[in-house]
Amino acid sequence: MRIDLHDLYSRTRNLGIMFCFSGSVSQSVIEGIAETLRLRLEFEERDLTVNQKVFSILVEQMQNIVNYSADRLSQEERVEGELRAGILVVGQDNNEFFVLCGNTISKEDVEPTRGRLDALRGLDREQLKTLYRERRKAASSESRKGAGLGFIDMARKASRPLEYDFTPVDATHEFFSILATI
Amino acid sequence: MQPLILKGSKSTPSIHFDPASHVLRLQGQSYPENASKFYAPVFAWLREYLAQPEGTRVCVDVELAYFNSSSSKILMNFFEILEKTAANGTSVEVFWRYREDDETSLECGEEFKEDAPGLSFHLVPLTEE
Repeated sequence: MRIDLHDLYSRTRNLGIMFCFSGSVSQSVIEGIAETLRLRLEFEERDLTVNQKVFSILVEQMQNIVNYSADRLSQEERVEGELRAGILVVGQDNNEFFVLCGNTISKEDVEPTRGRLDALRGLDREQLKTLYRERRKAASSESRKGAGLGFIDMARKASRPLEYDFTPVDATHEFFSILATI
Repeated sequence: MQPLILKGSKSTPSIHFDPASHVLRLQGQSYPENASKFYAPVFAWLREYLAQPEGTRVCVDVELAYFNSSSSKILMNFFEILEKTAANGTSVEVFWRYREDDETSLECGEEFKEDAPGLSFHLVPLTEE
């Protein structure tokens, strides 16, 4: 199979894509992409607050791949430095930035994820702020790598409710994608 | 007691906790792969430091350009521990330094200030050179 790379590149450009990454994500990949994105955003001459929101959502989404993607090389639970795969796209459409992230998840995680995101979609800015602060104050549950604040934080930083989608992959997995617009 | 000095990286802040001057300084960015693991030795140091009641003044200097949601939880725990110290009679002053044009950082500072009412919490804008 031959890939027409120029065609692929042109298509990403036409879609307003500034960054596109697909494959195994590690902490150093996140740091590299995040820092490069920050430099790239500085050229956009937007205000710092917008740039910080894009940066923040990118980091949260990529760390979700590392923490929750079902597509991983190691099958052991919670191995430090293990590689998990996903896809990430950052771009601009009209005057807005978008950060899109996708990864495979276990079917059993679909409904809980959908429930959490739907609940957030129904909240306004003040309600999101209150929920974020309540969760942060609550005793930390040690069973999770993340603080369980990631989605709420993204929802607060996005300018519109987070959009998501699930696509069946096989008997036990679905592909989860989430879109944040800033 | 030895000072706690950690060099910063892209995703971890530089940490300079000095028991002699009672200045605890955090600076840089915080989005480590595993925030609980990264901060465990920091909390261990802090607990030991705060266990010696000296009735002195502790100065906490925080200048974080970015921190992720897991680090936000850690910072809340950090301020809660300091609130207990303040309640026991030690003066704890927090200086939250944020870039003047960074609304998110100011808002984060305001929320920590409200959520840690037991601390003397100052929001200090950094002006660009």
